[in-house]
Amino acid sequence: MIDFHQVEKHYGQFHVLKNIDLHVQEGEVVVVVGPSGSGKSTMLRCINRLETITSGGLTVDGITVNERKTDINKLRKEIGMVFQHFNLYPHKKVIDNITLAPIKVLGLSKAEAEKTAMYYLEKVGIADKAQSYPSQLSGGQQQRVAIARGLAMKPKIMLFDEPTSALDPEMVGEVLDVMRNLAREGMTMVVVTHEMGFAREVADRVIFMDQGQIVEEAEPEQFFANPQEERTRTFLSRVLSH
Amino acid sequence: MEFSILTDYFGQYLEGFRGTVLSSVLALIGSFVIGTVIAVFRITSVKALRWFGTGYVEFIRNIPLLLVVYVFFYGPSALGFTLDGFKAGTIGLTVYTSAFIAEAIRAGIVAVPKGQMEAARSSGLSYMQTMTHVILPQAIKLVIPPLGNQFINLIKNSSVLTLVAGLDLMYFADGISTETYRTFDTYIFVALFYLVLTLPLSYGVRVWERRLQRKY
Repeated sequence: MIDFHQVEKHYGQFHVLKNIDLHVQEGEVVVVVGPSGSGKSTMLRCINRLETITSGGLTVDGITVNERKTDINKLRKEIGMVFQHFNLYPHKKVIDNITLAPIKVLGLSKAEAEKTAMYYLEKVGIADKAQSYPSQLSGGQQQRVAIARGLAMKPKIMLFDEPTSALDPEMVGEVLDVMRNLAREGMTMVVVTHEMGFAREVADRVIFMDQGQIVEEAEPEQFFANPQEERTRTFLSRVLSH
Repeated sequence: MEFSILTDYFGQYLEGFRGTVLSSVLALIGSFVIGTVIAVFRITSVKALRWFGTGYVEFIRNIPLLLVVYVFFYGPSALGFTLDGFKAGTIGLTVYTSAFIAEAIRAGIVAVPKGQMEAARSSGLSYMQTMTHVILPQAIKLVIPPLGNQFINLIKNSSVLTLVAGLDLMYFADGISTETYRTFDTYIFVALFYLVLTLPLSYGVRVWERRLQRKY
């Protein structure tokens, strides 16, 4: 579904991604962890070309992402994305946040799009907020709206870029619950997060990145109980010890 | 103060007022549209458009308004056609004001958080769709105060039409004052006519701003 093949990325002098090889199967939940600045968000953002790669190959659903003839908007329809800071449109009501892309990109009628939007709002548990503006919602509610907005496009893949990092601790759970259900339903997901509990419980595979490289990848049990690399062990001891 | 001037020449004042209002409204709409387009040019990734936008703004806003108007008044005859004072003046006013509006709107667009563009683009919206539905509506809210200033300046600047016989308020006032020899009184009433336009406009801008502030 998603294939990185020897991907390199430079920001000027800075070598952000080094020789990335990663293959995500359909229906797989891959959780990417690692210290800040390790390149995990950058890698995620390459998948829908919010970032471009310097060299190597990257295909999503068989389509080469960084190619002139690739219709990027068409590819992006298939890839939902949830951001750390939600990025809801503050000037639009919740319902209009969700229906914008289905109407403009998929060509749904307003009525159809609203029906779909309500279905997903129901699913993330905040159908009663449809007529509110984002600023009237808590962080956790806003992030759930953002997830509903992504799902309303009926994508094949969902990307999560530190979806709980900007939330108050008591709101982390409600967002993770929604993501857990999504994983259970078989959505292909790539999740960048610091939530080790989520990684352990929900991931099919955990990727550990450091300094632009994939240092280790393993099933969660193996990853947490018996990490192979020294750098992984150091990282885990730091994040799990408290 | 000779109030009879106002009553005796009310028809001429009104005719001039009509010219000023019409020219201002046309220039307001035109400069808003052109200014928005130029603002988008200035921030796109397409180099040629960016250069054009920057060149347009820097050239226009750094020469006097009167000169811009003269270009449209005297320029066409060199090309074998003519524009009357009203048309040349209004076009000049539009072009001149659009450079300032472009700068105001560009500042507003740049102030919209980057994540808005990313969220919209990653959902499959095109650059233009993102601009129209996500970025510009938010940018407008930020630029209402500077935009209001530009619109008020525009109305006052429309007095430049007088110098190309553009049939505006000042043009008719010049006529009235030469007939009455009461220059000061004549122009005091002109000021009132301008205030009738600009005061409600600045009030309206404030109300608009407050309304959007309340909404989200």
